[in-house]
Amino acid sequence: MAIHEKTLIDADRLISSDKLVVDGVDVSGHWNTMILPRTLKDYDDDFETKIKTYAGAENVHRCWQCGSCTNSCTMYAQNTDFNPRYWIYLTRLGLKDEILKDKEIIWQCVSCNKCTNICPKDVRPEGVMKALSHWIEEEGYGGKSNSTIFDEEFTRQCLERGRIEDSEVMGNFYKNTKQDIVQMALHGWLGIFVARMNKWNELRQGNVIKFLTRTPIFHSLHMGLAMVFKPKTKSWGRTGEVLQQYVKEQKELAHG
Amino acid sequence: MSETVLVVGAGPTGLSAAAGVASIGKKVILVEKESVLGGAPILSGYAKLVPSGEWAKDAIGRMVKRVEDNANVTIHKSTKVVKVEGEAGNFTVTMSNGQTANVGSIILGTGFTHFDSINKPEWGFGTYEDVLTTTQMEQMVSNGKIACPSDGRVPERVAILLCVGSRDRQIGREWCSKICCTVSTNLAMEIKEISPQTDVFIYYMDIRTFGLYEDKFYWKSQEEYKTKFVKARIAEVTKSADGRLLVKGEDTLVKRPIVIPMDIVVHAIGMDPNEENPELSKVFGIGLEKHGFVDKGEQYTSTFSSTRRGIYVGGAALGPEDIDTSISHGLAMAMRAVGDMNALVQKAA
Repeated sequence: MAIHEKTLIDADRLISSDKLVVDGVDVSGHWNTMILPRTLKDYDDDFETKIKTYAGAENVHRCWQCGSCTNSCTMYAQNTDFNPRYWIYLTRLGLKDEILKDKEIIWQCVSCNKCTNICPKDVRPEGVMKALSHWIEEEGYGGKSNSTIFDEEFTRQCLERGRIEDSEVMGNFYKNTKQDIVQMALHGWLGIFVARMNKWNELRQGNVIKFLTRTPIFHSLHMGLAMVFKPKTKSWGRTGEVLQQYVKEQKELAHG
Repeated sequence: MSETVLVVGAGPTGLSAAAGVASIGKKVILVEKESVLGGAPILSGYAKLVPSGEWAKDAIGRMVKRVEDNANVTIHKSTKVVKVEGEAGNFTVTMSNGQTANVGSIILGTGFTHFDSINKPEWGFGTYEDVLTTTQMEQMVSNGKIACPSDGRVPERVAILLCVGSRDRQIGREWCSKICCTVSTNLAMEIKEISPQTDVFIYYMDIRTFGLYEDKFYWKSQEEYKTKFVKARIAEVTKSADGRLLVKGEDTLVKRPIVIPMDIVVHAIGMDPNEENPELSKVFGIGLEKHGFVDKGEQYTSTFSSTRRGIYVGGAALGPEDIDTSISHGLAMAMRAVGDMNALVQKAA
């Protein structure tokens, strides 16, 4: 039978293939859409303990699913997919995959703390929402934001050399965020930016001094050299390594 | 006219009633069909009692000793009452050991029968060795070791299924057995105490840890012992290829089917009417209510009366009941029995 109402089924559970043979029978064509089963297969027993290591989520195990948090929730009033009660339940049982389906909305908690005030068991759901958001981010499930990619490149250069090279930061940032620098120069804001630095008119009108002072010749030269030789801050030595080790230790201390 | 009281059943209700009557100075005949006194807590080998936390054999043992040591109480073990004639103040009772007695009133503490899980075959009891009842699990706790009966391994996970033989129209159990929720939360804590690496899951429809059992059992098991509560009525228990049990059903809060591996599945069995109630009804000439428990007479001025004058009934014979309440029923029935006999004596004088 054809599937009449596909919208009722999660898109990621619908599978179809151009050609499909099941037990020697060709079921291509009208019959080739299948639905993956949505049965829960197991619990991740350690997940609750993990989430409880985040500040604010220590009481998550107390929840008995009364739903006061969801009923009082500011965000739930805007979007009924935002359901703290449900996520707390999934956390307690370790149904991580289910939580990740909502990774794009869990962070939207506005910390109004109505849930925390109303909770009869002092679960502090707001803290659990924060913990889940942090967990999603730290485990890399959320995908990196542009600002994170920028920070990473910035930090990398700092730790390596004790200084940054602006153009290298920007260059790598565009590369890592898959922004085409040539296209930006030809059609985007970068083109306008470069055009403003164009001082040929001054030279054409004979203002040689003005041209030389307003054109970043030495700066460009300096920049180009720095990109080639990648100089370090004086006496940088092993400072970067030590800092890196310190950051790693602090992270482990916080969340194991 | 006799001022002796017959007490039928030597569980918490009967033992309390017998001690109560004897303490007023009246004679008691205590009849118990089993060869030991103590009733279900002793016969089924309960572990620690709710809510005192005392071991059943100690707590109920004291009740037994109090009655055994009382000169006013005559005990008949492995004996049943087979015939009751006469009326309030003057019953003639025949026992299965051939003896007869003349008694003024009769107290029934005939209790209940544990639900037999065989009647819910879909939950695997009798099919898989690692599916147990709460009473079997209590015995395991009493022995101080938590292990799968099939191969002796320490279970990683135990599932306790609530409402087995309770709140189930399909099998004609239209009552809540009242105490299983509390017993199960208590059991979950006992399991965790003996075997800290075991996680306990309780599958429930509602949690009914009434009165003061709320924080002492439900909250405590959840907050301190990390028992996990899953709102699901299990459809069936099966076995996976690796020998573990699979609990299948619908997790209603996730709105999703579940198939979860477990090592031991425990049925929180309910309280059925005593399986001998039809026989008791005939022998004592008393009525049963629609579920098969013993029927009550008028409650407000003739408390604990059965439908026959001079015969009183209390404890789990009336419906699912906890031990502490059953003990108070026993004492209240002693008061009723002796008080009514006094009234008859004064009337006769």
